[in-house]
Amino acid sequence: MDILYLLVPLSVLAALGVLVLFAWALRAGQFERIEAEGDRIVFDADQTQPPVPDDRT
Amino acid sequence: MQAESLGKEAIIPSAATAGATAVSAAPVRAQAWSVGGLHCAACADLLAALLRRHAGVREADVGYAAALALVHAPPEVQLQLPAAAQRAGYTLVPAKPLAAQALRQREARSLLWRTFVAGFCMMQIMMLAAPTYFAAGAEVPVDLRQLLHWGSWVLSWPVLLFAAQPYLVGAWRTLRQRQLGMDVPVALGVLITFIVSSAALFDPAGPWGPEVYFDSLSMFMCFLLLGRWFELRARHAAATALTALQGEPDALVQRERGGGGVDALEAVPASALTVGDTLRLGLGERAPADAVLLAGATWADEACTSGESAAVHKRAGDTWLAGSINLGSPVRLRVLHVAQDSHVQQMAQALQQALTQRTVGASDAERWSGPFLAGVLLLALLAGITWAWVDPSRVVAVVCAVLIVTCPCALALAAPAARVASTAAMARRGVMVQRLSAWDALARITCVALDKTGTLTQPEVRPCVLREAGAAPQVAAAAAALAAWSKHPLSAAVVRALPRPGPAWRWAGLSEVAGAGLRAQDPQGRWWRLGSAAWVCEAQGPIDLHQDTHHDTDHDTHALPPGAVLFGPEGEAPWLAFEPFDAVSPQAQVVVTRLQALGLRVRLLSGDQVGRVQALAHTLGLKVSMAQGGCSPQDKQAAVRAWTQAGQRVLMVGDGVNDAPVLAQADAAVAVGGASALASRAADAVLLRTDLSALPDLLLQARRTRHITRQNLVWATVYNVAAVPLAVLGHLPPWAAGLGMALSSALVVGNAMRLSHACAPARHTSTAGG
Repeated sequence: MDILYLLVPLSVLAALGVLVLFAWALRAGQFERIEAEGDRIVFDADQTQPPVPDDRT
Repeated sequence: MQAESLGKEAIIPSAATAGATAVSAAPVRAQAWSVGGLHCAACADLLAALLRRHAGVREADVGYAAALALVHAPPEVQLQLPAAAQRAGYTLVPAKPLAAQALRQREARSLLWRTFVAGFCMMQIMMLAAPTYFAAGAEVPVDLRQLLHWGSWVLSWPVLLFAAQPYLVGAWRTLRQRQLGMDVPVALGVLITFIVSSAALFDPAGPWGPEVYFDSLSMFMCFLLLGRWFELRARHAAATALTALQGEPDALVQRERGGGGVDALEAVPASALTVGDTLRLGLGERAPADAVLLAGATWADEACTSGESAAVHKRAGDTWLAGSINLGSPVRLRVLHVAQDSHVQQMAQALQQALTQRTVGASDAERWSGPFLAGVLLLALLAGITWAWVDPSRVVAVVCAVLIVTCPCALALAAPAARVASTAAMARRGVMVQRLSAWDALARITCVALDKTGTLTQPEVRPCVLREAGAAPQVAAAAAALAAWSKHPLSAAVVRALPRPGPAWRWAGLSEVAGAGLRAQDPQGRWWRLGSAAWVCEAQGPIDLHQDTHHDTDHDTHALPPGAVLFGPEGEAPWLAFEPFDAVSPQAQVVVTRLQALGLRVRLLSGDQVGRVQALAHTLGLKVSMAQGGCSPQDKQAAVRAWTQAGQRVLMVGDGVNDAPVLAQADAAVAVGGASALASRAADAVLLRTDLSALPDLLLQARRTRHITRQNLVWATVYNVAAVPLAVLGHLPPWAAGLGMALSSALVVGNAMRLSHACAPARHTSTAGG
């Protein structure tokens, strides 16, 4: 169990590292438009409205 | 200078009587600011107090729910405000869509970041704390246990210094102002927990015992921030809708440089205009600022400002309101007031005023929040002392839980959040609610009095054939085709009045003569005119109109109706005449039926002739007793007074200047189309579009607002009443208190946000297939 004396401080350091990583991601605008990926499936690139289903065919 | 006063008068008739801001030596301007850094209703008060103390500021109000500040001060003082606010920890940017959006983005980003830090540290601390939860530490050696606590302690620092910063700073700000804000109990809870836990960590044998609470600390911080983040997103959604109202990004306008002439034209954004600039305004263009007509004569569509769909004839020297559309030939204008002062902007400002002003209920809540928070602190102290006798190891947990759970955030947000959400929803539908307190009055209405048949009717024309040649269907089709070229309301009526698709000939050499009509050449090379009687007749010299008129219609053409539109080839007597009349607009029937379906009595109260008002009532399916015609403004006031005394709550709908007194007198008032500035000032809400179809929606929304506000108040009260005893008795751990507080705020705001989706009118159900 002695390894814990190394692992616990290491995990604390790793946690602080993750905080730094998230800070970078946020500053880089990764969370600006979290709906974008969902919209991409529904809309075409230049569309803001979902396409009207066309059942006349 | 003279031109300036002319413009002012045209826009606000007798501004002084309307209760407008008094004129002083220094020109005081109202400016709206988007505020960043507000995180509770008390912050809004602090900022308002701070702004009011600033030298030169006449008046300042800050609305929390819409994050808007409205400051009355001279322009040079306005410029100093952002710096002054920055020193106190708030950010001010002009309430323009782009700047406000950037501010909101920064605010949301920073809050998300804090929430993440708290949440991430919470999970790590939980992991480190978990081994110490079990079996009284029998399996965890004392030194390892101490190491785990040290790990928790290190990870608590980001929570305390970064995640909890808004609360600590907010509490410090209010205390420095010698007030108790809602952040104080939370900040106190955080600090007590951290200090006591640190003391226990450094000296496990000390007076605080070996127990540490870093897990509780990070957990309730995370829940509080998460609740705040949801609340912020909801508030931002409302604020976005409201700032969008203030106008799209600047349109380009044609400005004359120096001496004038075509070469000297330059395209500049409307915001770059200054008073005294000369503009060119072509057919169909919208004036970016209030201006005076320098040269040319034309027709203006002032529907966006006056609500009148009838075109207004403009000659050199006439005032041109911002937002009015040029329906005729190009004209030159000199700018009288730039955007800030223009009429549309004034209406947007009225809305901002509504959002920053205190409602009666809100000011009550503010008066009580100080004593309430003092009570919370006292209660926490008493609970702490009692638990020190009963079980000293639980003192910190109980005190912390009491401090956090009693935060009256939900209670403070219950009514404003609902009203702001509704105001934003109706603004998207073209209704400006000018007073937040009006929502209550609108929800209680029992009777609707509609004035001004003009809002229930629209201009139409009745075609009649003057010459036998005119009876041919292709002549009618040609007239319709010609009329379709013009944007004039009467032309549109001509198009509507004629049987549409027919074999029409192609018009060539088309021109529009402002204030007169259209002139064009048919395939045979003959010139035709469609327009006012005087102008069409002028082309054929003095001709007796009744020489060979077609008499077999029931219509009497002997006296050509005033304002008739004529159509005919040049050099001949006109072939067709169009007699203008008022027709019941298609929405009127729907609106009246919907109002009746809401359980309201619908009445007509008009200055028009009794017979015509009663005929309209008959058309709309109203009882004749419900229609009163021939009313003077005093008669209208007397009628409303009588109904009010009979126990009814009257909503008055009107638009003219003479409606202002009766609008002010009714329980609630709606101005249609913002007809006159005076009427819109007296009204609680303004319908920006001329048709009334938004009126039933407004009343429905008011009822939903009342319903949801009640739900919110009940929930917030029940939550506080139930949670406090639990916390005092020690049944509520601090993390649960944080969760409860965050949930109650988020629930109240989320519930209010249901209002931001305005009740959809009965739309066509499907677009596909039919």
